[in-house]
Amino acid sequence: MSVGEWVRLLLGGALLLGGLLVFLIEIYGVFRFRYVLNRMHAAALGDTLGITCSMAGLMLLSGFRFSTLKMAMVIVFLWIASPVSSHLLARLEAGTNEQLGEHCEVYEKLETLEEQLRDGEERKEEAL
Amino acid sequence: MSKLKSREEYEKTGSFRFWRWLDGRRDPYVGQVEMKPQTPVETPELTIRERLRDSQAVRDKVYDIENNKSLNFFHRVYVLAAIVYCVGLAVILLAMVAYLPPTGEADRPVNNEVSARYIESGLQETGAVNIVTGMILDYRAFDTFGESNVLFAATTTVLILLHRKKKNQDGRVEELENDRLLEPKRDAILQGSATVLVPIIILFGIYVILNGHLSPGGGFSGGAVIGAGLILYLSAFGFERAEKLFTEKLYKTVSFAALTTYCLAKSYSFFTGANHLESHIPLGTPGAILSSGLIFVLNICVGMVVACTMYTFYVMFRKGDF
Repeated sequence: MSVGEWVRLLLGGALLLGGLLVFLIEIYGVFRFRYVLNRMHAAALGDTLGITCSMAGLMLLSGFRFSTLKMAMVIVFLWIASPVSSHLLARLEAGTNEQLGEHCEVYEKLETLEEQLRDGEERKEEAL
Repeated sequence: MSKLKSREEYEKTGSFRFWRWLDGRRDPYVGQVEMKPQTPVETPELTIRERLRDSQAVRDKVYDIENNKSLNFFHRVYVLAAIVYCVGLAVILLAMVAYLPPTGEADRPVNNEVSARYIESGLQETGAVNIVTGMILDYRAFDTFGESNVLFAATTTVLILLHRKKKNQDGRVEELENDRLLEPKRDAILQGSATVLVPIIILFGIYVILNGHLSPGGGFSGGAVIGAGLILYLSAFGFERAEKLFTEKLYKTVSFAALTTYCLAKSYSFFTGANHLESHIPLGTPGAILSSGLIFVLNICVGMVVACTMYTFYVMFRKGDF
C-alpha cells in the first residue's frame, strides 16, 4: 500500500473509533442521568456527533464512489431530523410536566428572561 | 498462600457485584433510573354495566331475536358452520402435513432443486436482477398477494373499530377530552424541517419502489417510506392541509385499484403459465428500469397498498377520522 492509502486507512479508522467512543459515552449518559431532559441531552450527542464521525470514517475507508454520496446524504438527513425530534420531545416534556421547576429554572414568560439578561448586561457595564 | 477474606469484605469488592449482576440477583437499574411501575387498569362498575346494557340493547333492538325467528335460526347455524369449517380446515391441513418430506432429510426438494432453480435461472425467467424480488413477486406472487390482502383486512378492521362518525359528536367536548391537546401544534421548527424533508422522503420511497427489481428494496419497504413521509407531513401541518390530499375516498380508490390490478395481472400470468401459453409480456433487458415484466407493476401496487395502510393506521389511532 502506498503512503496515501495508509494515511486514509488510519484517518478513517480513527474517525470510526472516535464515533464509537461517542456512542459509548452517549449510552453511559442515557443510563446515568435521571431526568428526561438530561438524558435527551446525552442521547443527542450520538445522533449528531457520533453518527457524523462514524460516517465520515466509513466514507474515507470506502473511497470515492456512489455509496459515499449516499452516506453523506444520511448525515444530512440525520442532522435535519434528529434535532427536530429532540426539540419536539423536549417541548412536550416542558408543556406537560407540572413539576418542571424542580428540575430546572423555569421562566414564566420569555420577556422576563430577556429583562433579566438586559439587567445583567447593564450591571456589567456599570461595573466596568 | 491464599488470602481468605471475610464475608463483609468480599461483598465490597467489584467481583462480588459483577457475579451478583451476572446471576440476576440484583438489577443495577432498579431504583437508580427514573421509571414508574404501571398500575393495573381498573374498569369502573358503571362502565361494565353500561357495556352489558349496550350488548343487551343490540340483541333486543337491532336483531330483535324474540320476534325474528329466521335470524335466531341463522345465528345458531352460523356458529355450527363456523365450528365445522374450522375443524375441517384443521383436518385437511394436518392431512397435508403428513405428505410433506421429513425435516432434515438431505435430498428433499427444498435443499437442492428449489434454491438451485432460483439462483440459476431466476434472472432468465423473471428478468429481475434482484433475485429476492423475482422470488416474492414472480415465483411466489400468490403469497405476496395474500400479504397485501392481510394489510387491507387489517386496515378494514381498524376502520370498523376506530372510525368515528362526524355527525353525532360535539366538536368542543371532543377537543377537551382529547389528550393530544397538549402536543405541540404548528411548531415552526418542525414545519420548516418538514418542508425540506417530506419531498425528499417521498421521492426516496418512489425510488425504492421503482428500483425494486434492480436493487434491495421493493414495494413493502418503499411503501413504508412513503407512508412515513405522509405521516410527517400530517404531524407538521395538521389535518386540515393533509386532508386536501388524502381523504377516505382516495384511500378506498387507491387500495381497491392496486389490489385489483395485482389480482388481475397475476391471474393472467398464472393462467398462461399453467396452460403453457405465451404470456406476451416482454421481460426487457435485465438491469433497465423498465424491465422484468409484471414485477414492476406489482411492486407499484404493493407499495401503494402499504403506504395507504401506514397512513390510515396513524390517522385512525390518532383522531379516528380522515
